[in-house]
Amino acid sequence: MSAGPYNYSYIFKYIIIGDMGVGKSCLLHQFTEKKFMADCPHTIGVEFGTRIIEVSGQKIKLQIWDTAGQERFRAVTRSYYRGAAGALMVYDITRRSTYNHLSSWLTDTRNLTNPSTVIFLIGNKCDLEGQRDVTYEEASKFAEENGLMFVEASAKTGDNVEEAFLETAKKIYQSIQDGRLDLNAAESGVQHKPSQPGGRPGTAAGGDQPGRDNCAC
Amino acid sequence: MYATKQPSLRIKQADLKCKNGCGYFGNADWDGYCSKCYRNQMEKERQKKSKQSQQGDHSKATSFSKFEEKKRQQSDKKTKYFLPVFRKTSSLKETGRPEKYIDIRQMNPDADKLLAEFISAYGEWGEAVRKDFLKCVQSFTSKIIHELDLKSVEELADIAQNYYQLYNNRLNNNAVYQSVTPEVRDKLLDFFERYSMVSLYTFLFCPPSTNDEEKDLSIQDRIRKLSWVNAHHLDCCISETSLEVRDLVYTAINDLLGMDSMKAPQEKLACVVRCCRSVVEVLQHCQGGPVSADEFLPALIFIVLKANPARLKSNMLYVTRFCYGARLMQGEAGYYFTNLCCAVSFIENLTAESLNMPQQEFEAYMSGEVTCVSAWESALVACEGMHQLCEHLSLLKGLSERMTAVRDDTQKLKDDMHRLKEEINDKVTSVLERTPLVIQPRKTILPLTMEFLKSLPPLPDKVEGAASDEVDTAPKYYQQNITMNQMGLSNPKPKLQLDITPCVSLPSASEVKPSLSTEFLTVASPAVDKSLDSITPDDNSYLGLSKINYDIDFSDISAENSIIEDLGESRRSPTMSFTPDPFSPMGTGCTIMQSPLVPSAAEMPRAEDPPARKNDFVLPFLEEIEKEGTSEETLLDKVEETPTICLPPPIKPTEYTGFSKQGSKIPSIPCNTGDFSSLNSTPNAGSSKDTN
Ligand SMILES: Nc1nc2c(ncn2[C@@H]2O[C@H](COP(=O)(O)OP(=O)(O)O)[C@@H](O)[C@H]2O)c(=O)[nH]1
Ligand SMILES: [Mg+2]
Repeated sequence: MSAGPYNYSYIFKYIIIGDMGVGKSCLLHQFTEKKFMADCPHTIGVEFGTRIIEVSGQKIKLQIWDTAGQERFRAVTRSYYRGAAGALMVYDITRRSTYNHLSSWLTDTRNLTNPSTVIFLIGNKCDLEGQRDVTYEEASKFAEENGLMFVEASAKTGDNVEEAFLETAKKIYQSIQDGRLDLNAAESGVQHKPSQPGGRPGTAAGGDQPGRDNCAC
Repeated sequence: MYATKQPSLRIKQADLKCKNGCGYFGNADWDGYCSKCYRNQMEKERQKKSKQSQQGDHSKATSFSKFEEKKRQQSDKKTKYFLPVFRKTSSLKETGRPEKYIDIRQMNPDADKLLAEFISAYGEWGEAVRKDFLKCVQSFTSKIIHELDLKSVEELADIAQNYYQLYNNRLNNNAVYQSVTPEVRDKLLDFFERYSMVSLYTFLFCPPSTNDEEKDLSIQDRIRKLSWVNAHHLDCCISETSLEVRDLVYTAINDLLGMDSMKAPQEKLACVVRCCRSVVEVLQHCQGGPVSADEFLPALIFIVLKANPARLKSNMLYVTRFCYGARLMQGEAGYYFTNLCCAVSFIENLTAESLNMPQQEFEAYMSGEVTCVSAWESALVACEGMHQLCEHLSLLKGLSERMTAVRDDTQKLKDDMHRLKEEINDKVTSVLERTPLVIQPRKTILPLTMEFLKSLPPLPDKVEGAASDEVDTAPKYYQQNITMNQMGLSNPKPKLQLDITPCVSLPSASEVKPSLSTEFLTVASPAVDKSLDSITPDDNSYLGLSKINYDIDFSDISAENSIIEDLGESRRSPTMSFTPDPFSPMGTGCTIMQSPLVPSAAEMPRAEDPPARKNDFVLPFLEEIEKEGTSEETLLDKVEETPTICLPPPIKPTEYTGFSKQGSKIPSIPCNTGDFSSLNSTPNAGSSKDTN
């Protein structure tokens, strides 16, 4: 948001998912503002944040959608899965139930995103070592079995927060380089250059179209 | 107008209208004018501006925001210059090739879908109409794309509004549309807007050339900071604790949140309308009566604050710019959209004063010094908890249902098994009734039997007669053989004929206990024989001593009927009947050895021959045998010598081979004991046993 327009050559769309209260909003805030927002109000529906990062000398704008964990808003949040290039799946290492729900989050993600979407597992609140309820090894094994990248982070101290967002971007960028991610696909979640006048309309079409299926009125 | 006044919760109807007084709804984004007056105003300003620039007077820039906008566009162009891709595409654009918008359509699945819908319906409209429609859409979209680089988004909005108007005029005046009904004309106009806007959505929604995204982020942050504001602060009657109200509020919030997912301006507008209708419903529910316009705005503000819809500003600006202006100027949609604009502008500008709260308190809340957990927040958390609780409860319910089902099935199975048991019981009983088992004495031991029987006071003659009868006719009576390979016996087929007959009286047919296995054996024996042909009794005869075979020839039974009938007399004789235990798991093979040996007094109460009862003894229970034997010195002593020796093994047959093995014997044993004439060695065997 601080950078002017056109300072970047790609837009990557991320979504952050996970149970209520695992610290999704705090992670996003930590990443965009480099501050811990201790008393952050509960997210309703979706909120978003942006930040420009650099991967392999390329400026990339991350457009991150922070979703509400509540079932009541699932219908709204689901429409944001579509067209996400990266999905950060968060659980709280001090609450086992949030870890147990991961498989259902993963199913949702796999069903609603495209196959090239990079999924990154974050075990948040690792500053609360004393209250740990899920071991690193266990989560690491789960991540490996499901082909996810994994890190334990803390939105409070900022540990590994940057890394999680950056590693995801690197992986997406790699996919683009390898040609595994088709920029022309309507919902790759990646826009080459912002929606520019007359410029490569095909690639731009991948942009702002969360929930196109909802146009049923 | 709201932009200039202190934000207030109470807005008069007049305040919603265009400040030109034309009667249409105004809008903060149009500086308080309605769409039409705003455009006129803009036109005037532009003319003034161009005059000013002709005079070279730049000091009178229209407004700071305009200036910002210009600066932004200049900087955009600058950055664009350094991006080769942009240069390339803009040069491409200048050639104005028509394939450009075709590209857009191809790459836009939504537009594709819409076009397919249109084509499927074109029959109704006619080929000429369809062609003209597509021509107009192409002309519109290509125009917008040509101008994207050169014009500000506001100017693009003007172009769009002009095109809508032009197409509307065309619909009403062009000869192509003469045959089209007014309703279809409305549909076409609507589709013109929908189709072209879905095609251009990526270029026109939150364009990077504007600061729309910054506005989105700032209002999002603002609303987040205002999360402490509750219905009470807003002086609105929404009850935060009522369950039904909360559900309605959630519906309204969801409607508003849906706006960001829609692409066509009229679809976004429809979301706003749905949300506002839900708000009206909430209010109706809370106050149980008609809702006044005064109460509506605070409630909508509350909803917007709680929903914090994504990209709120971008969405509203997109609707303002590219929705067909007439829609926003009047009607339900226009009214609600104007209200939403008021609510957002209230939120952007609200102060302690507008909430009627002391400045200090307001600041404490805003800075986060004081946090208050509102009923709403708690409800949200509680709702999630409730949701999980319900999830778990339904899971438990499912489990308990399945458990009940399993229990029922188990009970059913149990009943079925019980019924089966009864059935088999009945069948066996009936079979046994038809074919009672009769064990009759053998000739060889007849003298002994007679001797013994003579010692008994009543009915000695009968027994004698019966016994001799049997011997004479070589009857096919039930035969129980214990085949033992006896060491030192030259006979290759040494058979010990164990006759229990003399000891137990034959009860009436009805008294014969049913045997499960009897029927089974009779039915199954042929198959068993076949499968076990290889195992012959001869083989067994060479087995060691420990090998004990209980050869039970049930095939006799079938033949027995006639014999028994013939021997009506002998039937009443105190010959032994054996009553196999129908439920003995080991079947007849065992029951022969066991049950008949335990003919308790209770089992024989109806024995027709009282003296026979005296002989109701238990063979294996040697004490009893001894007792009777010693006390009475009957032939049993001698007869029993055989059982006393050979019976213990049957109780614990070390190599009991089960039924099938016995079955194999069935063919080997002649159908009647008539063949015991050929087994003259039997007594020898018995005597040799005695010596053992
Ligand atoms: N100790 C600690 N607390 C955290 C951390 N991240 C979030 N929280 C707290 O967890 C609560 C929920 O965070 P929030 O971001 O609203 O969760 P969300 O519902 O997933 O968005 C807040 O009270 C935060 O203060 C963290 O890394 N460490
Ligand atoms: Mg949150």
